[in-house]
Amino acid sequence: MPDPLITRLQALIISTLKLEGVRPEDIPENEPLIGSPRFGLDSIDALELVLTLEKEFGVKIGSSEESRRALASVNSLAAFIRSRQPGA
Amino acid sequence: MSATAAEFSAGIECCDCLTPFGDAAATAVALLAGRRALALTPVLGRDGGDPVPLALLGPMNEVVPPRWVDALRRFATAIPPGPWGAARTPVIVTSSNFGVGSLQAFMRDRDPRHLAHGTPYAAVNRLRAELGWGPHVHLFSHACVTAHLGLAHAGRLLHLGVAERVLVFSFDFVSPFVAGGFHSLKILNGAMPAPFTVRETGAIGLGDGAAFAVLARDAGPARLAAHAFHNEMFHFTGNQPDGAGFLVCPAAIAAAADGRRVWIKGHGTGTLEAGRLEAEAVHRQFPGSPLVSWKGSLGHTLGSCGLVELAIALAALRAGRIPGTVGGAAPSFSPAVALEPFSAAPFEGAVLCSNAFGGAHAALLLTTA
Repeated sequence: MPDPLITRLQALIISTLKLEGVRPEDIPENEPLIGSPRFGLDSIDALELVLTLEKEFGVKIGSSEESRRALASVNSLAAFIRSRQPGA
Repeated sequence: MSATAAEFSAGIECCDCLTPFGDAAATAVALLAGRRALALTPVLGRDGGDPVPLALLGPMNEVVPPRWVDALRRFATAIPPGPWGAARTPVIVTSSNFGVGSLQAFMRDRDPRHLAHGTPYAAVNRLRAELGWGPHVHLFSHACVTAHLGLAHAGRLLHLGVAERVLVFSFDFVSPFVAGGFHSLKILNGAMPAPFTVRETGAIGLGDGAAFAVLARDAGPARLAAHAFHNEMFHFTGNQPDGAGFLVCPAAIAAAADGRRVWIKGHGTGTLEAGRLEAEAVHRQFPGSPLVSWKGSLGHTLGSCGLVELAIALAALRAGRIPGTVGGAAPSFSPAVALEPFSAAPFEGAVLCSNAFGGAHAALLLTTA
């Protein structure tokens, strides 16, 4: 059964970055999000994602290094949110 | 693109700056003492937000007229008299902010008076009226290498013979809009900047700053002997990961320096990757030359940093001692990084570097004899 947080994050990435023609299951769970040749996400996309995540989950990302680590993949993003929000 | 001494060399008749410590001489004294102007301040000013390191000349509130108007009016009394803004004595205004904070204030308050300062043209027009400048005023804006471009353009006007003296004037005052933007990028966070320092998390500070230089072709003894510019054209926020972009300007200036012994004022904002790439590039092009950054004290004055830090460098040279990297700590990214002040006596010049979003790089060679 799919992890609901992973599914929510995949949908959030699509809506935040307005990825056309992409389904949630197309967003890989274990591949790099930023710099991905498949989606072409860059540091401005990362900025938008961070702002959305902070708003959506009420978490704070403290530095660009932390942001880079959290956004390494969908799985790392989920782990970051769970570390800040154990109930997520 | 890089430029050589013959194309743009110009003498500095007069140069000064304004920071939270005061003028260039007072700022150099404070930096030599290792003092920080940065203080943790709510990122959105009166609207609150996370505390971040800002070095401000006053409360960061968007008022009418903007706070920079009165500060610059007082600062401009240090500019030597002249028919500034006349055809042969033009003014070059360099900034990356101009009055952009007023635009955000308008969006928040809907007070149309903010719009009179919200664009580069409007902001400089206000300044022109305040300071009595004529119509020959050029505006330059190219992120954090802006002041370097203004100085080089002044040299070009002097060499073309279309100007006798040029006033280069720069100002960048932090606004909640700009601080909020850098905070969103997470590089302006709750930590103080520690330029060129190996640590887990990078951080920058932002600072208010203004500066001017009067340039004339044959003035001396202080001269802007060479300028270099380069744009990586790689990505609009990221640098080439191999650091090749950081090597180009130092290499061009090293060639122009022609074996002179120099010290280096780096860009050194406190971000990790750019700090490492810059420190390594400088060490490679100028082995044995000490590298410093002053942004750990003053914060990053953005488009004005090149001119603000030039004024401080000149004041430090007059004092005979060069401030070290305030806020930095061992271990550094390169053995070239000087954490403590050092004597100016062994050196025949200085290299001043600035870097910017978009992979833009600039450097200049300052000589004093």
